[in-house]
Amino acid sequence: MGDSHNYLHLARPLAPAPIATSQSSVTAPVSVTLQPQALFSIIDHASRRPADQERVIGTLLGTRSEDGTEVSVTNCYAVPHTETAEQVEMDMDYQKRMLDLHLRAAPKEVLNFYSQQGEGTFPHPAVHLTVSTVAGQDVEANTYISAPIGVTAERAADSCLFIPVPHEIKYDEASKSGLELIAGARDRDDRTQLMQTDLETLERAIEQVLEMLERVSNYVSDVLDEEQQSSTALGQFLLNTLALAPKVDAEDIERDFNNHIQDVLLVSYLANTIRTQIDLSNRLATAAITMGGDTNVASSGGDQQKQQSGERGGERGGQRREGGGGQQQRSGQAGPGGRRGEQ
Amino acid sequence: MATVPPAESPVREVQLSALVVMRLIKHSTQVWPQPATGCLVGMDVGAQLQITNSFPFPASNPDNTTGNPNATNPADPYHQADQLALALAAPRAKSSVAYQNEMIKYLREVNVDAQGVGWYVSCSMGNFVNASFVENQAFYQRATGEQTVALVFDVGRSSQGSLTLKAYRLSPSFMAACKENKFTTESIQKSNLRYQDILIELPVAIHNSHLLTSYLHQLPTSPTADTDLALPASLNELHRNPHLASNPLAPNLDNLDLSIDPFLEKTVDQLLDSIEAHQTEQNNAQYYQRSLAREQAKIQTWQLKRKQENALRVQQKQTPLPEDEWQKLFKLPVEPSRLEAMLVGRQVEQYARQIDGFGAVVSGKMFGVRGNLLPGEAS
Repeated sequence: MGDSHNYLHLARPLAPAPIATSQSSVTAPVSVTLQPQALFSIIDHASRRPADQERVIGTLLGTRSEDGTEVSVTNCYAVPHTETAEQVEMDMDYQKRMLDLHLRAAPKEVLNFYSQQGEGTFPHPAVHLTVSTVAGQDVEANTYISAPIGVTAERAADSCLFIPVPHEIKYDEASKSGLELIAGARDRDDRTQLMQTDLETLERAIEQVLEMLERVSNYVSDVLDEEQQSSTALGQFLLNTLALAPKVDAEDIERDFNNHIQDVLLVSYLANTIRTQIDLSNRLATAAITMGGDTNVASSGGDQQKQQSGERGGERGGQRREGGGGQQQRSGQAGPGGRRGEQ
Repeated sequence: MATVPPAESPVREVQLSALVVMRLIKHSTQVWPQPATGCLVGMDVGAQLQITNSFPFPASNPDNTTGNPNATNPADPYHQADQLALALAAPRAKSSVAYQNEMIKYLREVNVDAQGVGWYVSCSMGNFVNASFVENQAFYQRATGEQTVALVFDVGRSSQGSLTLKAYRLSPSFMAACKENKFTTESIQKSNLRYQDILIELPVAIHNSHLLTSYLHQLPTSPTADTDLALPASLNELHRNPHLASNPLAPNLDNLDLSIDPFLEKTVDQLLDSIEAHQTEQNNAQYYQRSLAREQAKIQTWQLKRKQENALRVQQKQTPLPEDEWQKLFKLPVEPSRLEAMLVGRQVEQYARQIDGFGAVVSGKMFGVRGNLLPGEAS
């Protein structure tokens, strides 16, 4: 996200002993990295909330670096809660069970906390994330850490101060292709997008590159016609980029090109040949049985019948042998037909 | 490339929500090179199966003796091999079924669709067609009334730029064969089952909610096309421009990469594996036939002897001995199942299809590069 908030890094306040985390001796600011799947999950839960509830509360899971300064949120789940005018209560039992279940699947994750459109009043010594989903405005995510401040001694456990900390949404390499496809659906009316084949994706990428090249060349010709301002930075950048084109001899290009194309064709031919071969051998194995009755006990029946069919099968087997041998040569390997011939 | 499912099948199309796609990608890339398995939940709407959420299965089998849910004995010499088999078998393991039921129960409380509609698995370069896959899908299709699909996510090919996510179901003819659990030659002849018939592929679409769509619109994409952007003052400023540098929705040009050899090498490796598997199956079949022939020869000699004995006894006015005893004396070998051979065939077909698709894409790129580097030639 194009976050350009400026953050004033206050020292992270230390919580008093009973609620302190084990790493609270470090007062460096905490920074949070969000993974897109956690954010998508929150958005999904937000759109599923019961009609009378304004907010959704849940738990974040993630990893924390050694000294506690870097927190990465990788997963989350929602927890049902009830709201009254003053307080918001969460179902802690549910929370514990879900944590159990999640930890069984991914034992490395650690507990944090989130809520959508509001703040929870359950101060874990951890990270809070709020995502605002007011219709018509931007979806904004904010992260805080909590520190208890005491107004009076009795209410110290209830009140806390939330300090905003910087956060960043990181999209890693693997999610990029998925994200592109998902984003492709956002401009369509029904918000759906079919899976695209490789060729279609390639076509789209090439079209995008062509469009970009067109824009750049328009700009350059405008600059040459003195219709646009020139910029040394842009010129330098373009020069650097164009210098990346390799300088190779024409024969080398031809040779490499031919080699690569031949490699691909070879493997393609090989794969298809293997497929045909396996298909053929499977079919020979299953189809040949009806021809030769002497080599297979097709059904347990009377032995006399078997003897007769055995004799008849022997004759047919003799005739089949030539056919099997011929096929054997063509297929180039000793398949069941060949084996039957030996018997 | 997708086969059209028959008109009477209960599911004809699969619709995924964006959340499922992201979670799938995340989980698969995290546990790569191990296969990642998990459960899908959603709803079936008419002939369309909508998948709205997913969660991973715990990979290791709980060790029943110690009661520790994450224990696999590291002293076990087959520890490594078992991990893979365990991971692949996770969707139909009893512990996973219990886990799944519990998860669904809890998810229902937060209004997530509570119907299990399938399972997912990750693979690399298309090597997902194995006995475990088929058994998992058969388990699901038997158990939950036929409205389930298997989603296969290909980690290797998706990292090359285009998302490869496919949905499969077992064909009805194959399900019928599975019920009898007999894959001998006669049953295959009767049912006329070929390896192409095992799986049906279903078309997949991705669907976004309104909230997600508004969020996506908010993400920075390529810079706007208007010409009022201020020109950058320095090269560094260009490099540091947030719109260009960390742009999640920038056009993903990874698939313009020309990396041919690794793909070919991996595919050929896997073809070799398939050939070995096929060879093993053939050897088994031939061994069976040889032992069968030996048994039959023995039976025939015994029968001959019996007949001679009976002729003698008839001469001596004694009762002839029964001639059916050979059934009790000789045990015929059991024919090995042909399922594995069919699966190998289907797997090789999958590789062949992938290579063909790859070849089409690569040829286009190669000709483009060549036309660019040899500007004098007419392309």
